[in-house]
Amino acid sequence: MSYCVNCGVELESSLKSCPLCHTPVINPNELQKAQVPSPYPKERGQVDVVKRKDFGILTSIVLIATSLSCLLLNLFVFPGSLWSLFIIGACLVLFVLVFPMVIYTKLPIYISFLFDGVAVGIYLYLITFNTADNRWFTALALPIVTLITILVEIFALLLRSFSVSFLTTSLYFFAEAAVLCVGIELLIDHYSGAPLHLVWSAIVLTVCSVIIVLLITLLSIRRFRDAVRRRLHF
Amino acid sequence: MKNLSSTKTKQKNNLDPAKRSQNRKIWYKLDLSAIVYPTLQRRDFSSVYRLSVVLKEAIKPDVLQRAVDIALTRFPTYKTAIRKGLFWRYLEPNTRPGPFVQKDIRNFCMPMPFKAGNRYLLRIYYHECRISLEAHHCLGDGTGGMYVLQTITAVYLRLLGHQISDGGFVKNINEAPSPGELEDAYMRYANAKVCPSRPGEKTYRVRGTKAPFYTFNVIDGVMSVKEVMKVAAKYEATITEYLNAVLLYALLQKQQAEWHLKLRPVKIAMPVNLRRFFPSDTLRNFITMVYPGIDPRLGDYTFEEIITQVHHYMRYYINEKFLRGDITTNANTQRNPFIRIVPLFVKDFVVRMFYTKVQDKNSSAGLTNMGAMKVPDDMKPYIDRFDIYMGQPFSSRTNCAIVSFEDTLTINFASSIIESDVERLFFKKLIADGIHVKIESNRAY
Repeated sequence: MSYCVNCGVELESSLKSCPLCHTPVINPNELQKAQVPSPYPKERGQVDVVKRKDFGILTSIVLIATSLSCLLLNLFVFPGSLWSLFIIGACLVLFVLVFPMVIYTKLPIYISFLFDGVAVGIYLYLITFNTADNRWFTALALPIVTLITILVEIFALLLRSFSVSFLTTSLYFFAEAAVLCVGIELLIDHYSGAPLHLVWSAIVLTVCSVIIVLLITLLSIRRFRDAVRRRLHF
Repeated sequence: MKNLSSTKTKQKNNLDPAKRSQNRKIWYKLDLSAIVYPTLQRRDFSSVYRLSVVLKEAIKPDVLQRAVDIALTRFPTYKTAIRKGLFWRYLEPNTRPGPFVQKDIRNFCMPMPFKAGNRYLLRIYYHECRISLEAHHCLGDGTGGMYVLQTITAVYLRLLGHQISDGGFVKNINEAPSPGELEDAYMRYANAKVCPSRPGEKTYRVRGTKAPFYTFNVIDGVMSVKEVMKVAAKYEATITEYLNAVLLYALLQKQQAEWHLKLRPVKIAMPVNLRRFFPSDTLRNFITMVYPGIDPRLGDYTFEEIITQVHHYMRYYINEKFLRGDITTNANTQRNPFIRIVPLFVKDFVVRMFYTKVQDKNSSAGLTNMGAMKVPDDMKPYIDRFDIYMGQPFSSRTNCAIVSFEDTLTINFASSIIESDVERLFFKKLIADGIHVKIESNRAY
């Protein structure tokens, strides 16, 4: 039986310090005493995950029905062009987007982003069936989708591996925005056969660089960092 | 043979209307205060309270499961799931398997997503000698929950071969639930001719560092009822008044010690069990809030002055007339036809807004006193003590729940913040008044 020297309360024998004032418990007579188990359980509980199976089934059925009916209408009623591919592709993209949220929630976020990128790629590929040539797809659409997917993956990786604050998040965001704009302009130049030369993306790059330097300065000096967090908290 | 078959058909014919009414889908409207709790539901917050009883022997989980299965049939409003309608939520009998007894956890009163856990709104835990019941507040208040817990405990002890009689909080499990137990008692008594306005004043807020999701910090103080009663009598107050005054005193000291631009009034939200004033058997919510408080802007209060203030506040406000007015105010909001036809999501938005902006800022801490537990005489020898927890506070503050059994008074503080200043100041005052306090805690810091 120990008492807190500071508060004067009797402490339950498993407590190593007073929960009220954090004064450690030292009982000179009972130094060698075996550790008494706490009256509280050790295990931490986890909040149950809500299964949105019904919603998942419903969404899947709606999307499949839409795609199928459009396909049938396209084949037998309005057979002018392959317009149903637009809708089928959109349904596919929607399904892939919804899948990790409602049907299989344990999917790692990187893989679900990868799937999203692949789905958008497939959608764009389906569009090529309705256009005269498909050079735009191989030279422009596919590289841009790949670039965006890679950038999103990197963004997720950065957010998950380092401590998150709105300063660091905006740092990653502006850095990636600059890379994306530069990439898009270079790809457009390559597609149109013009020499690789930065014009409009140079402006974005400059602005983003200034913001990035500012953010790095803010982040590296503790006093600044704290001041910004204090004044801009929401 | 012929006779038998004819009686059978007769019975069938006789049963038909009753059976037909039984087959009709049963559902329960949420009672007046239960309407608010589900709207406050967040990913990291549910209005869940916990009642637990400590027996003298280790709990046998398989027997407890059987006891739960038997006892819950007596409480149809507790074996339910919550569903959304277009205008209101409602409770529906839950036929899914469960609720299953589980090993107890360190961070109790966890959020309770409505669609998880087979949609049950109550959980039953066991740990060593302790049986705990956690229920969502939309099912009923602490008194209702205590009926469920004690009935489960009585059935459990009976299954172990002990003789336990009904009475007190133990319901007869062979009896059908009376309509009075399932009713929304508020509506029966919400008939005052005037609606007093709700108190709306910004009070002192306890500021603290939020503990990581999901931590539930508990500090329990165990003491002797007689000692507390003696001290309370010295101040010419009841135990509730005395403990209320001590909590106010602690909050006032904390506010004084903190950096502040201006002082704010300190108030405590205290639920009052309306069954004491309005006869009702209901097992659902039947409580209302009173807000005893002190305004430090008027000057420095000594402890004696605080206790006098609390004593007179309680005597003035907690009576049948004032409480009836209070219920009427709340009921009239719900009865208003314009409010009733608004879709649920709009109501949710408005209620949540009102709660976070007004109601939650109305009090600095919560305190509830369930008083002395009434237990059948032949069950007393098997029970060591009771613990009740008001659950996770909606904002950063501490909630304090008090219950007593025989000569053991337990004061349970629950909070989601790291600092334990309020608790320290509270117990320090009790120690200074000469009460012997034993502290238990699950805090890791």
